[in-house]
Amino acid sequence: MGTQFDIAFVFEYFLKLLPFIRISLVIVGSSILVGMGVGFLVALPRLYKIPVLQRISQVYASFFRGTPILIQLFLIYYGLPEILKLANIDVSKVPVLFFVILAYGLHSGAYMSEGIRAAVTAVDRGQVEAAYAVGMTGFQAFTRIVFPQALAISIPILANLVIATLKDTSLAFTLGVMELTGKSQTLVTMSRHFIESYVALALVYFIISFILEKLFNLAERRLLKHEAPISSKDRVPMGRKWLNSRIDGEIALSKGGSGI
Amino acid sequence: MTLDFSFIWTAFVKLLPAIPNTLYITVVSVSCGFIIGTIVALSRIYKIPVLNQLGTSYVTFIRGTPMLTHLLLIYFGLPLIIDGLAEKYGWSFNSVSIPMIGFAYISFSITAGAYLAEVIRSGMLAVDKGQLEAAHSIGMTTFQALRRIVFPQAFAAALPNLSNSLIGMLHGSTLAFTVSVVDINAKAQIVAATNWKFFEAYLAAALIFWGLTIVIERITAWLEKRINVYNRGGVA
Repeated sequence: MGTQFDIAFVFEYFLKLLPFIRISLVIVGSSILVGMGVGFLVALPRLYKIPVLQRISQVYASFFRGTPILIQLFLIYYGLPEILKLANIDVSKVPVLFFVILAYGLHSGAYMSEGIRAAVTAVDRGQVEAAYAVGMTGFQAFTRIVFPQALAISIPILANLVIATLKDTSLAFTLGVMELTGKSQTLVTMSRHFIESYVALALVYFIISFILEKLFNLAERRLLKHEAPISSKDRVPMGRKWLNSRIDGEIALSKGGSGI
Repeated sequence: MTLDFSFIWTAFVKLLPAIPNTLYITVVSVSCGFIIGTIVALSRIYKIPVLNQLGTSYVTFIRGTPMLTHLLLIYFGLPLIIDGLAEKYGWSFNSVSIPMIGFAYISFSITAGAYLAEVIRSGMLAVDKGQLEAAHSIGMTTFQALRRIVFPQAFAAALPNLSNSLIGMLHGSTLAFTVSVVDINAKAQIVAATNWKFFEAYLAAALIFWGLTIVIERITAWLEKRINVYNRGGVA
């Protein structure tokens, strides 16, 4: 299996992998956007307790959080065309990338909906009441008061999700999308230097997630400027209500152990 | 080709024998990961000189890279190391004697170890420092205090995260197909490819995973209720 370990190949492969960061990030970015839209739509019925829709969104979140992303990828890739065929829509010409983005979007949407729900419930109820008291409508109260606060609270959750999605994109190669992992597997077919290629691959992923984490830390500090500085992970429990709720939220939300 | 509902049931039955493999991988990796995680978490909390830095970089690296790369690195890297050593010291043991599922066990344990280290660490930090001091003041040694006072409370605090990690590893075990271990996912691929009914087979696999996840959730909820009894507020 393979040949002698040669560090020079790690650098070579690392450079060869760099152009493919783009496609991985495209998948992450667009699926997070899809996920945000879906997550928002799914979270609303549960926040406002709309009878039937609430059940549906519960089942949706449960299914997409309860099955592995790999299975979901295959399900959507093989299943969607057949379902659409029943409605006489032909999608056989649609690139694989769309199915991949849709699968990751729906997957992250389930987590996103839970995140949005937790973040919104973490905003103190008094804030909404105060907004009503000064004469805002329900929509105004949501967009002007609740949403900005919820956004700040949900940044750590979002950061977790984005990084988890980045790591999940390593599975897109199973459907033949040429992203980082797929490329690293084709690189070795010529030279048989398996380990060097995978070391380079791990380095690339590590660097991207490291940068992403730093960026999100920055964003969090920016959004929480109106609060006392508390963005350390091991924060002491404070009397503030939303701080405690946020910790609960994170427990319910952090995306499983693996992040595959 | 239309949706064949009866085949979902057929696939479901065919997938059942593959469940133990998935569960073995999950249970072994989480148990080994728990041991690794405890060691790493303790050495990080007590800031043991070398182990602390090693643990930190281990956790950072593993959590920053996908589980698939760990599996691939172990699968291709470990034989190289073992064969090198075997040649040097003349062992009869070499990489061929490791079963395929062994690679999955080792690599997933390493993955789970890093995630569980964080879970355990956050659980232990959630226990009030006063608890440990109180235990010291009535004459317990640090080991006794940790075992009798801190761990049970930390376990209760970390339980939701633990179940999350368990579910994560259950879902992660689908990756074992890359090292040709036949778990539920690999079996679904086999069933799908031999019958040319992909959607139905994966639907059956998804249903099994969903069921397993819900079972884990239920057990956790029940356990949480039991284990948090000490934590009730109010009187009597």
